[in-house]
Amino acid sequence: MSAVLQLTDVVRVHGEAPHQVQALRGVSFAAHPGELVAVMGPSGSGKSTLLTIAGGLDSPTSGAVTVEGVDLARLGQQGRARMRRTSIGYVFQGFNLIPALTAAENVALPRELDGVAPRQARAEARAALEEVGILDLADRFPDDMSGGQQQRVAIARAVIGERRLILADEPTGALDTETGEEILRLLRARCDAGAAGVLVTHEARHAAWADRVVFLRDGVVVDETGADRAEVLTEAAGR
Amino acid sequence: MTTTGSRLGGWRVALRLARREAWRRRSQTLLMLFLICMPVVAVTAAAIVWRTADLSGPESVERRMGAAAALISPVGTDVDQQFDPDDGSSWGGEARALTAGRIRAVIGDRPMIPLRTTSSDFQTAHGVADTGLLEVDLHDPLAAGLFRLEAGHLPRTSDEVVVNPALVERGPGIGDLLVLGRKTADGPQPRALRIVGVADYAGSRSFEWAGVLPGALPVTPDDGPAEWLVGGGPVTWGDVRKLNGIGALVASRQVISDPPPESALSPDLRGQVQPVSQETITVLALVVAMVLLEVVLLAGPAFAVRARAQAHTLALVAASGGTPAQARRTVLASGVVVGALGGLFGVAWGIVVAVLAVPIAQTVDASWFGPFEVPWAMVAVVAAFGFASAVLAAVVPAFAASRQDAVAVLAGRRGEGRPSRRSPVVGLALIGVGIAGSFAGSRPGGGSSPLLVGSAAIISVVGMIFLVPVAIATVARLSARLPLPLRFAARDAARHRTRTVPAIAAVGATVAGVVALGIAVSSQADHDEKTYQPMLQLGYGVVDVPTDATPADVAQIEQILTKGLPDAPRQRVTGVVTDTDDYSLMVSFAQDGAEIQTSYWGVLGTGYVVADALPAYLGVGDDSRVVADRALAGGGIVLLHSQVSSAVPSGGQVTVTVGETPPGGGEVKTRATAAFSMVAAEIPGRAQPAAAVLSPVAAKRLHLPTATTAIAVLPTIDGAAAQRVDEELAATASHASLSVERGFQPSAETRIIKLVLAVLGAILMLGGTLTATFLALSDARPDLATMAAVGARPRTRRGVAAAYALVVGLVGALLGAPIGFIPGVAISGPLTHDFQTGATSLVIPWTLLGAVVLGLPLLTALVVGACARSRLPLVARID
Repeated sequence: MSAVLQLTDVVRVHGEAPHQVQALRGVSFAAHPGELVAVMGPSGSGKSTLLTIAGGLDSPTSGAVTVEGVDLARLGQQGRARMRRTSIGYVFQGFNLIPALTAAENVALPRELDGVAPRQARAEARAALEEVGILDLADRFPDDMSGGQQQRVAIARAVIGERRLILADEPTGALDTETGEEILRLLRARCDAGAAGVLVTHEARHAAWADRVVFLRDGVVVDETGADRAEVLTEAAGR
Repeated sequence: MTTTGSRLGGWRVALRLARREAWRRRSQTLLMLFLICMPVVAVTAAAIVWRTADLSGPESVERRMGAAAALISPVGTDVDQQFDPDDGSSWGGEARALTAGRIRAVIGDRPMIPLRTTSSDFQTAHGVADTGLLEVDLHDPLAAGLFRLEAGHLPRTSDEVVVNPALVERGPGIGDLLVLGRKTADGPQPRALRIVGVADYAGSRSFEWAGVLPGALPVTPDDGPAEWLVGGGPVTWGDVRKLNGIGALVASRQVISDPPPESALSPDLRGQVQPVSQETITVLALVVAMVLLEVVLLAGPAFAVRARAQAHTLALVAASGGTPAQARRTVLASGVVVGALGGLFGVAWGIVVAVLAVPIAQTVDASWFGPFEVPWAMVAVVAAFGFASAVLAAVVPAFAASRQDAVAVLAGRRGEGRPSRRSPVVGLALIGVGIAGSFAGSRPGGGSSPLLVGSAAIISVVGMIFLVPVAIATVARLSARLPLPLRFAARDAARHRTRTVPAIAAVGATVAGVVALGIAVSSQADHDEKTYQPMLQLGYGVVDVPTDATPADVAQIEQILTKGLPDAPRQRVTGVVTDTDDYSLMVSFAQDGAEIQTSYWGVLGTGYVVADALPAYLGVGDDSRVVADRALAGGGIVLLHSQVSSAVPSGGQVTVTVGETPPGGGEVKTRATAAFSMVAAEIPGRAQPAAAVLSPVAAKRLHLPTATTAIAVLPTIDGAAAQRVDEELAATASHASLSVERGFQPSAETRIIKLVLAVLGAILMLGGTLTATFLALSDARPDLATMAAVGARPRTRRGVAAAYALVVGLVGALLGAPIGFIPGVAISGPLTHDFQTGATSLVIPWTLLGAVVLGLPLLTALVVGACARSRLPLVARID
């Protein structure tokens, strides 16, 4: 099965010599449909950089990133923005909901930005909210919700429009243990339904939800568990 | 003591924080400074230019009396004067020449020279022009400074003259002859003087002046008695009073420069010199209040955003035991720092602008400016105004900061709570007061008070500000179905009221002002149009011929007409000469002993046309013409009337009486009286150009002097040709002029005022909207980053920016326009009240209104959308 996300020898250097910092030094990995990959590592290991590059918010200094077979480097700003509206969903630690929009409007945002008629976008949003179990909160503003509720809205926003790659950056960091587990269960369920998920976390127990764990240190993959490395390498070589 | 000490200490900390914050957020500080500085710069510069241009008493002394100690002017008897006679004086009786001897008898043996200020015409290459004339010995030290020589020398003999550059511009230069026409009692005695020098005349820059020796020119009856320049030490107030006693007004250098206490004036003149009237002060106060309000509203959003940037710090301070007062002080300190800087920078820039502006202003002003002068007291007040506006702009954010919910802020919730329920009630009450005040201040038929209307307008605007929070909250509630950028903008605006409300209010106040003035100006123009009465048929023109014109003058006028308007037929208007230097004639008509009211004012140079048939230029309809012509042929008269004049009897016998009064007024002497058959003729649709047409026989029987009083030019006169002819006529000795009836012409002023209103409105609206929008965008950075993360196109940021501008502009304009109606409608009543009919005009300038309320916000939104960066913040909050 082809990977939804494929990173090949990704290098990301911040700044200019002699003050340059190598955030990623030749990272390769893939995420397949139905798979939840956890990326772990200490602070400063390059986890977040990996995620921003995977989502097309940042570009690699060298190496290739493909999402659903499309090379992000070949797309312009506009094209990458379109990918984020249609193929890639983000979940952030700080929820990042827009306080001026209701829950349903926040969820509908990618669809509306994609030009879908507001009525339809809202209907899709309600369906997504129902999926994460908070349809009754559809018309509330983020300020009137708890952290767990906000993160459910954020997940609904990340999956709306049948997006097949979900990138989650410490999605439980601001939540209590119980609520955090709920959120991970939702992510897992989404992956079981066919999406590919990448979960950046520094908590080992969250890795239990993942099919595979990739360990990063100083910008390189130092270990990978639960995966057939050979498959990863063949896929990379086959391209 | 301790309390004061700790309070000061608290301020010290707050000010230090504010100073650092101002430096840390430099670009925001620059924006605040710009908004605070602009009015300070403008007013400072204007004050300096005005003070430099304005000659206070002592500065004007040299221009009036050169190097002399005093200028003594004989005026008559019973003379009384202010310290500076130009500020006020009174006298009675005839002016008698004062001999040097009589003056010396009062003030002792001093150097004295005579001086006479008069005028004369002079010949130019094209015709005749006027010049001021100063007759004085310019070589005498007392006269030093009156003419500042630029080239050549001052006149040494009676056939030499010095002229100023303005006169040189008219043609003659050094070495040329200047032919001055003098009409003496014995007839015209032109004199040709050699121009020997060019010099700036201290009294005027742009008008023509010439200086000659006393006696160089024959005295004319128009010349007043000579004045005297006196030297030999200060002329005291005591001397001035004694000279008043012999019939002279005295401008004394010493008295003007250092006036004695007011009690030294005679009781009648005390308290007359009021530098500024109460009314002016009130008007000024209203203007200052309005400008202050506008500046505070414009700068308000910047302070609100700064306060919000400090919200987290303030919440932490509150969490660790800080009091609301401390929070308030921290935000107010921003106002203090920015206000102090703004005042200082504003004044400094104002002085720089004035240095550049004074020479420019001098080129368009007729009189010489004084030395560059900064009115420091006024400038200090202006700087204080800048300071006050910044502090006031910080007041609302400061109070909002002191009342903020620390928990919500620390939990990262942005935005403010619900708007107060009381504020719309207060707002509506204030608007009610404003409406009542406006209409109380504008009762038609007297009792109108522009001041009351002005104050009421400001109260209405303040009332409107209280309505803004509810208005924007309502818009936000109604925005659910709007496209995303608009929905986001409306909701975000409602959530950040301390930032949005002042911006919307600034736009609203601007629009209110534009609408009010627009209604007033349009109504006034409509009133003018309605009351306009054409005097001639459209396209007809008439050249007035002055009473003292000679036949040669008339021939010259006709020559110019033939040359300039070769195809236009023309007709000489022969009429009764009613006013000469020797007498004034009054012609009255009566029927059966009852006097007939006739108009006696017209454009034909006479009220009574003399002709044996109705002249075409009167434009009488054909049906009246036959009867009228018959009456004139029979030696009778025709009374003209129109819709606007009082009705006259349609015919019959009338008695015409000619009364004569001496030129200065006095008893009316009957000169002739006779009875004639009369018919009336109506001038359709216009005011009548004369009262009556007399047959030559009638004029003769009444011994009425007749002459060519005007030349009528029949249609159609081209505008450009008319202007050329008019210019040529102005250059003739008789100073005739051509006026053409073109119907009501809206004055250029009205159009210019409307344009200025629209432009000013646009600038202020753009300013208010731009500040609010870009502050909102910087505030909304996290939200824009989120949008980018979920796939917003780069142009989304532009869309949001434009939507913001549209919300601020449109809500402001929609609130402001009705507020502007209040004073606009109120003031149009007294402004257009017709005293005859009691009718008033009210015209709503819908085009201007549409442009301001809909056009400008849309335009602003487009400009903002085009100017906004399209790059979205990308990785702002990913990690």
